[in-house]
Amino acid sequence: MVNQSRRDFLKTAALAGTAVTGLSSKTKAAPKNILSEDRMGVLVDTTVCIGCRKCEWACKTAHNLETPSIEVYDDRSVFQTMRRPNSKSLTVVNEYKNSVEEKFPINVKVQCMHCDHPACVSACIVGAFSKEENGSVIWDTDKCIGCRYCMVACPFQVPAFEFESALKPDIKKCDFCFERTKEGKLPACTEICPVEAVTYGQREDLVKAAHQKIKNYPDRYINRVFGEYEVGGTSWIYLASKEFEKLDFPKLGKDPAPGVSEAIQHGIFAYFVPPVALYALLGGVMWINKNKKKSENEEI
Amino acid sequence: MKTRMLIFFICCAFIINAQTQKKVHPNLNGITCKTCHSCDIPTKENPCVIPCPREKMVSIDQSPEEGPLVLTIDKFKKQTDIYAPVIFSHRLHAEMSGMSGGCKMCHHYNPPGQVIGCSDCHELIRKRTDVSKPDLKGAYHRQCMECHRTWSGKVECESCHTINGKKQETDSKTLIAKSEKRIHPKIIAPTILKFNTPKATGKVVTFYHSQHVDLFGLECQSCHTNESCVKCHAKDKTALLKAKTTEQKHAVCSSCHNTKQNCSSCHFNSVQEGFNHAVKTGFDISKFHGKISCSTCHTEKGKFTGLNSECINCHGKWTQENFQHKVTGVILDETHQALECTDCHQEKNYSKPICSSCHEDKSFPKNVPGKLIKKNG
Ligand code: SF4
Ligand code: SF4
Ligand code: SF4
Repeated sequence: MVNQSRRDFLKTAALAGTAVTGLSSKTKAAPKNILSEDRMGVLVDTTVCIGCRKCEWACKTAHNLETPSIEVYDDRSVFQTMRRPNSKSLTVVNEYKNSVEEKFPINVKVQCMHCDHPACVSACIVGAFSKEENGSVIWDTDKCIGCRYCMVACPFQVPAFEFESALKPDIKKCDFCFERTKEGKLPACTEICPVEAVTYGQREDLVKAAHQKIKNYPDRYINRVFGEYEVGGTSWIYLASKEFEKLDFPKLGKDPAPGVSEAIQHGIFAYFVPPVALYALLGGVMWINKNKKKSENEEI
Repeated sequence: MKTRMLIFFICCAFIINAQTQKKVHPNLNGITCKTCHSCDIPTKENPCVIPCPREKMVSIDQSPEEGPLVLTIDKFKKQTDIYAPVIFSHRLHAEMSGMSGGCKMCHHYNPPGQVIGCSDCHELIRKRTDVSKPDLKGAYHRQCMECHRTWSGKVECESCHTINGKKQETDSKTLIAKSEKRIHPKIIAPTILKFNTPKATGKVVTFYHSQHVDLFGLECQSCHTNESCVKCHAKDKTALLKAKTTEQKHAVCSSCHNTKQNCSSCHFNSVQEGFNHAVKTGFDISKFHGKISCSTCHTEKGKFTGLNSECINCHGKWTQENFQHKVTGVILDETHQALECTDCHQEKNYSKPICSSCHEDKSFPKNVPGKLIKKNG
């Protein structure tokens, strides 16, 4: 495990985090809501992406979502409308006109940015969301009560709500292929990308590589790495040939968004825990205790 | 003692290094190790190659025939089960690249010696620690797509790959045989190109392509950079002819000529003769200077005017030691050999000699101060 000093505990959600780790003292769960210096990330180079949408295909396949055959993705007519990630597609690629070289349109892959100070984590009233040591922001389906605060809080409008299953409400978003990376595999989209427009690596190295690219090819890139500082930094960072705002990236400051959402959340819930949340929390405690017992039994 | 040992070891390292350097890079014309390597002693394990700004990299062009005919790119066989290996007509692509940058279009890092393949630098495994350059799969596809996208505007994988398990019309053996036969016809350089421009006066630009190559010493790639197949083979030529700005039209010329001014040095009302130094400048270079490139005398880059035509300007003072008189077609006899050049050649360009300072009754060429020979060249 990583040296304690190399981590920076997230203030915003530490409470939820310690509560959980405290309860499951015996099961050696990975620490939650910390900012490890070794955390992973992805560098998306929009000047390299060719809009083949193989990442969309791979993402769906990896998440057992309904997936058309791979040849279907050669159809470029989908670019006529701007798309957003939703519960059926955790990532989408959009296309923008390139006024300098018409033959090379600009393609931008969109998914969760895996913020370093995620608004979704601090907005979630039941602590279902967490920032993991490897950089990914994931959520616990069993804890989610479907309140959709994360949807509102996210500065990138990423979390989508699965409307179909009314009985078991759930949020859907890119999970940085948490299950795959746990097994040592690459996130599905970064594995399939033919041109490696999406490069998986340690965030620190990626930021360095991004700046090196800008230095080497000042004509190719604008001098900005999106996500290096935006909302306090994101695990997925972007390079582009023109202003990010023109590619539908939100205009954001350097301050982490949670500050904002925290205020809202605390204003509402300072002296008042909604019954559903409490219920869910208790449910969560029971579930953890049950698990604890189970693992104790297994140990015998 | 210790320091001596140390010096000995350092010397050894340098000797070994120098030897392997010769083996790996046989002809390093004027390139030092530091052009490419950041450390003093690069090894195979740690070549410490400097980060890759392509345009600054050294590249040596080879002829397409020196490369392989067809390559089957099956390095990823184990990693993917979706697409079958690509059968790549290397020769054909090498020939095509002649118009757009040569070998270095793909082999962008290509020091003298054996051509460096993609996999020598780009890692086969995508999950890696050095993320400063793309992995092999990414590097391949980036190269291919750079041109193929301009060709059709599409990025269909199936134009190069077959999908595994899908029934194919031709098997890979037949495909390889077919690819081997695909050769690009030799690109023949034109002699003269005549451009009719929309300019009211100075409508015609006569471009001597052959002179730019033979006389001015330009390489194909000096002008033809990043020209994809579409430049010649466009299905829809109108798109290419589409309104270009004056700047874009002159872009290729303006790397050497000042196209913002001096229009009349290229734009005339009729077709012009090719460049002739004697006509243009009054200094005939055909006798002695015809075979050297412009830049030998016009050393300041891009500036071709203002040279003094006196010999002394470039050659310094002529003496017996630095001037072989026989190149003029006359081998001087002993008496005349002892004289100073200026005794006979009083004009600053050393043209016709005068004999009258010594011989009242003699003149050149009626009388020769030695032996006439046939001039070479
Ligand atoms: S990110 Fe890669 S896989 Fe996705 S569309 Fe771009 S090039 Fe294709
Ligand atoms: S992009 Fe939105 S959903 Fe993703 S981590 Fe950031 S706040 Fe959470
Ligand atoms: S990291 Fe995984 S979940 Fe996220 S977009 Fe890529 S494939 Fe989809």
